[in-house]
Amino acid sequence: MKTLEEIENLSLEELEQKAAENAAPVPDGLERRLRQALAARELAEAAKPHPARWIPYASLAAVAAAAAALVMLPQRGPKDTFDDPLLAYAEVEKAFQTISDKMAVGMDIVRDAEETAGMPYNTFNKIQK
Amino acid sequence: MKRIVILFAALLLTCSAFAQNGKSIYQKYSDAENVSAVYVSPAMFRMIGRIPDLEVGDDNVNLSPVIRALTGLYILNSENPAINDNLRADAERFIKSGKYELLMEAKDSGETVRMYTVGNDRLIEGFVMLAAEPGEVTFICLDGQMPRKEFEELLARKAAD
Repeated sequence: MKTLEEIENLSLEELEQKAAENAAPVPDGLERRLRQALAARELAEAAKPHPARWIPYASLAAVAAAAAALVMLPQRGPKDTFDDPLLAYAEVEKAFQTISDKMAVGMDIVRDAEETAGMPYNTFNKIQK
Repeated sequence: MKRIVILFAALLLTCSAFAQNGKSIYQKYSDAENVSAVYVSPAMFRMIGRIPDLEVGDDNVNLSPVIRALTGLYILNSENPAINDNLRADAERFIKSGKYELLMEAKDSGETVRMYTVGNDRLIEGFVMLAAEPGEVTFICLDGQMPRKEFEELLARKAAD
């Protein structure tokens, strides 16, 4: 039995020679069994369902087509309420009147606020006179 | 696969963005009970524009420059309490997503009126009025390229009448 120091002092050639002298025998049929195992693994890999390469591209194309259709196809709109342009015009005028009426409510509030805000000023002026 | 999911999500977001406009709100609520609805299409506005004398009725107010610039009008007046809240919420979402600016807000006797516009100093590209009072919601949406000065003058003059 060699000590660790003796082993460390051996040259590379001597180490290789020792390893060749004590080589472990290869079991019978190992090579055949290895080949069989590798072949079986290859078969199993081939049988596995691989995602087809075209699927991501086809999905991308579908998404792009859907987006393009949304933008380019004429969107079905609601049906006109009036067939007669004069009636439509009257309705537009009525809509403007409604908007103005609602706006007038806001303007009245502003006018009231202005009057209230002016009261102290007027009172002050009267007192000064 | 992850990329495809992200793309579909983006597509769905795009669809939802498309869904929020005056037209979609009109289509959603115009057939509901107790809702009166008016739609004037761009084609009808073109026909109105061909009427020779647009200054019908009131001599003080000339609607023609504004009317000729309109491309769509949607009016919904709902007295259906079951949908009023949803209509109001959808309209507010549309206003937010459309980058509308508040033009005026008035609150009086339980009624809240808000008016919004989108566009620039010279042109109004969209106008929305949302008026809500207990039991009633009114939504008016105008699309077009309206000269801001004339539009605001028109409303002010009509309001003064």
